[in-house]
Amino acid sequence: MLAYLLLLVPTPPLAGFVLLALDPYRLDRRAVRAAAIVAGCAPLAVIAPMAIAHLTGLWGDQIAPIFTLYVGSYEVALAVGLDTLSAVTALTVAFVSACVMIYALDYMSGARNADLRRFFALMNLFQAGMLSMVLAADSITFFLGWELMGLCSFFLISYNMTSPRAFAAGQKAFVITRIADAALLAGLLLLFLEAGSVRLSELIPAGAAIDTARGPLIAALLLIGAMGKSAQFPFHTWLPTAMAGPTPVSALLHSATMVAAGAVLLARFAPVMAANDGVAAATAIAGVVTALFGAASAVAQTDVKRLLAYSSISQIGYMLIAVGVGAPAVAMAHFVVHALFKSLLFMASGVLSHAGAGGTSIAALRGTARRAPIAFASFAAGAASLAGLPLVTAGWWSKEAILASAFEASWLGLAVWAVGLTAAALTAVYAFRPVFTALRAPETETPRGRESWLAVGPLVVLAVLALAGGLGVKPLTELLGGHPPHPALWVELAGASAALLGIAGSAALTFVPALADRVARARRLRAGLQMDARYYALLVRPYRRLVRRLSGGRGEWVERVVGRGRGAQGLERELEGAVRHARQPEGASSDPVGQATVVLGLWIWRALLLPFSPDRMDMAWMWGARGIGRAAERARRLQTGRVRDYALALAFGLAALLLIGWGMTWR
Amino acid sequence: MALIAQLLLPFFGGFAALLAARTGRDRERWVAIAAMGATLVALLAGVVFGDDGRWLAFYRADWAPSFGIQVLLAMDGLTAAMLAISSGLGIISVFISWHVTHRSALFHAAICWTVAAANGVFLSFDLLIFAFFWELMIVPAFLLIALWGHGDREAAAIKFLVFNAVAGLGLLAAVFWMGATSDPVTFDAFVLAESDYSKTAQILLLLGFALAFMVKLPVPPFHAWLPDAHTQAPTAGSILLAGLLLKTGAYGLFRFPPMLFPEGLTALAGWGMALGAFGVVYGGILACGQTDAKRLVAYTSVAHMSIVLMGVCGGVHFALVGAGVEMIAHAFSSSALFLLIGALQHRTGTRDLRELGGLQKTAPAFATSFALFFAAALAMPGTANFLGEALVITGMFQVNWIFAAIALVSLVVSVVYATRLIGGIAFGAPKPAVQNVPDLHRYELWPIAILGLCALVFGLFPQLLIGWLWTAVEAALEPLIVVQP
Repeated sequence: MLAYLLLLVPTPPLAGFVLLALDPYRLDRRAVRAAAIVAGCAPLAVIAPMAIAHLTGLWGDQIAPIFTLYVGSYEVALAVGLDTLSAVTALTVAFVSACVMIYALDYMSGARNADLRRFFALMNLFQAGMLSMVLAADSITFFLGWELMGLCSFFLISYNMTSPRAFAAGQKAFVITRIADAALLAGLLLLFLEAGSVRLSELIPAGAAIDTARGPLIAALLLIGAMGKSAQFPFHTWLPTAMAGPTPVSALLHSATMVAAGAVLLARFAPVMAANDGVAAATAIAGVVTALFGAASAVAQTDVKRLLAYSSISQIGYMLIAVGVGAPAVAMAHFVVHALFKSLLFMASGVLSHAGAGGTSIAALRGTARRAPIAFASFAAGAASLAGLPLVTAGWWSKEAILASAFEASWLGLAVWAVGLTAAALTAVYAFRPVFTALRAPETETPRGRESWLAVGPLVVLAVLALAGGLGVKPLTELLGGHPPHPALWVELAGASAALLGIAGSAALTFVPALADRVARARRLRAGLQMDARYYALLVRPYRRLVRRLSGGRGEWVERVVGRGRGAQGLERELEGAVRHARQPEGASSDPVGQATVVLGLWIWRALLLPFSPDRMDMAWMWGARGIGRAAERARRLQTGRVRDYALALAFGLAALLLIGWGMTWR
Repeated sequence: MALIAQLLLPFFGGFAALLAARTGRDRERWVAIAAMGATLVALLAGVVFGDDGRWLAFYRADWAPSFGIQVLLAMDGLTAAMLAISSGLGIISVFISWHVTHRSALFHAAICWTVAAANGVFLSFDLLIFAFFWELMIVPAFLLIALWGHGDREAAAIKFLVFNAVAGLGLLAAVFWMGATSDPVTFDAFVLAESDYSKTAQILLLLGFALAFMVKLPVPPFHAWLPDAHTQAPTAGSILLAGLLLKTGAYGLFRFPPMLFPEGLTALAGWGMALGAFGVVYGGILACGQTDAKRLVAYTSVAHMSIVLMGVCGGVHFALVGAGVEMIAHAFSSSALFLLIGALQHRTGTRDLRELGGLQKTAPAFATSFALFFAAALAMPGTANFLGEALVITGMFQVNWIFAAIALVSLVVSVVYATRLIGGIAFGAPKPAVQNVPDLHRYELWPIAILGLCALVFGLFPQLLIGWLWTAVEAALEPLIVVQP
């Protein structure tokens, strides 16, 4: 029965969403903030004891059935559950999102009350979505949470509703992730039909055991789903533009939720992936390509938030590598570490941007190290963890584990390892660029600003974890059922030197003007290889053209094809009326397929009408009538009105009568 | 008795509304509400005291025995759901039309008669009576569009009339043929279901039935009347069209082809699914191209109803129950969207997405309501719409994965048009038209709340709906399974 407490994890944020969205009590600012923060932190309070009890072995795997659906012979049993993976991920999600919520209280303090309400309502729903996804024990609840995040991401990215750019960014994110979601749904439904159950504990082994062509197909569909949500190459284009959302949104989106959800999905379905070698290899390759591509693009960025966006893309690429080489536990360890330092980096960058010259460009960060020292120190800690500064940061431990796992895996893993190492060096390059820039003397001297404790508190906590968390990586990997790799010393040294080399490169890029200029000119790389423009040309524009072509017409061609009815007389006037009615109302567009029916109908109508237009029977009657008319016309001529004519007629008549009389007496 | 009440109460309620209008202001509204409220109560009684077997309630009486015509009414879970939607939407239509004063008595009578005729369609199992109600339904709906519509309303009303009346001929011809060839003459659907038509005859008869149903549904290429009728109709007319008239087509398709012509349906199922798949994508793409909010939603109806066609033609449990769920879910979501757009048009005088925008700033409750049904329109999990689509797609995977893949494409397209709709209405800086828009008032808020609750409750607790539809699904599948290869 205690398992039902799991339902209390996503419930508080959900309740917070309902309360804030419907707002039945007309909450004032303080109440809104209080409701949001209680709803946002409650999951942590609920899950922490349960997860810790589970991870320390006091409490076994739990399942709390919600309800069961009966569709014929199939049973669809919805449930939430707790196993090691969900305990770790749920704890991470709850912790990081609580930090973000606290930070958001300060960050959003300038917003209008209505916007504040909308913001926190959506953030709460977002949390609820991710939490129900990681706790899901069946594929339906899993997909529910997955999609809820997509919906919330749309509204949160376009939180600034008056900005067309923000709306376009939200729409783009929603459409691209939905493409992947459709693939995921297909995969989950096929898996359900194969396994006959939605319970993950039955679904996944059944999925791994499929030996028909459907096995690789399902695995590939799941991979596509994960790649879309995790913004992996070539689905990555939505993430950098998603920076249109407020910073806390990015902090939540990139660290523990949404973007990381793809990695959680793959870790969850790792047995299915592992059972299909080709798909597993594809996962590793997709991961390493994205890791390298994201890191290289991040180097060329001039905007901190876009830099961090490409870094998320790249880091989740590492998680894909781990899943691809068969080490999902390592991937999840990196997921935890990444959630910590990525949320930290975003939130700290928000504070630094506010303290700096304004705007989110890297150049604007100059001098902020002095103005906001605590935020800067935390940012530096996060950057060190991201760059994988050897031994002292959590990021080094988890990334090294991934690279070492790849190294030990196979010949393909070796190639992956080499490319991943390059990406790691690039990671250090871009991670430290904002740090070094912030250290540079500002162009105009300003005094140290105020750092709100609400904003800085979570930063300090996260910074400590991002550094010291390295101690926990190995135990965590073992807990998750993985084996921490033990690579040769030179492999570890290579990893360490890559990070150090990268940091040196970063310093060169920041402090050597010539190099900095080259970075500033790397426009192609900054635009993420212009995949955006390519998608626009390849997909969006043709789609728009198709839509315009189909819906642009006004239906004039009905008239052209059917004709207007010659002379508009007789029954043809009917035809003209029909054509007029078949056209679209003023200003409305029409579509060809719909009009085709109309045209066909009018053709038949016309074919029926024309033989009777003019009406033959009517013509016959009218011909008779006209004959009578003509006869009457002639008869009329007799009436001349002249006396002599009538006298002549009288005379003729009399003569005729006499003649007849004479004739009748003739014998 | 409860079944007869479903027909007579709204029918005479309409006349009562006509008369009541003379006795005082707003009387006709309350009479119409009372009549349809009483219909709902009668329905509730019929369900609560219903039987356990195949039918919740059954009624049979001779009408013209020498021609074999009976009054044959039967109600199962599916029927009950449709009847509840029918009267419920009727009441909602009255409430949101409080501003209608032009010939108000006839307006409310027309609403009542639409409900009565639709109830007749849902209940009748004597095919001649079914066809009679089928044709009857067109008349009050025609009046609603032609008399209280906007803009080019006569043209739209005539288009509606011609499409539906011509299509009704197919149904009528098939019914007459079936009645004439039966011996002794009968139009009893249960008896006719037992007769063994040849496969060719089944296909021909099915085509006659399907013509009527597919035009009403509507599935491309028979959909041209719908966008015009929706845009020119008054709000109440749009609600009844989307929530009720379209559903009669879906209901007919669900009920009669599997029961009467299982062989014909199995033979044509592939074509039906192909047409549905085409309609899903085509309707979705067209919806993306509209600038008129009502036309946009009308095209989404085309897409969603095409899913119903796919589901019915699928002929497996998942697909059929999905079709049933989808048509009920669509009744909630699309009528709510039409309600909202109608209310917006009443306030701003425009439905053009280019002139609207910024509602979030000026009327937040309005925008929030839009967001809710936005989620339903794009089949967000947790709404009944997702349940319907997911079930149909599951069924399609069992039948033919190509159709499943096409239906999945619609998930993506739906995001495009839904974001276009909400982007044009709620997002952006407030345009001049939206500057001083009053927020939703009470009479609009509670219908929205009820429709939203229905969409969410059935989406979150699907067993409520699936369990309710199950007898109808089983009954529809039984003859199909026999003939399926």
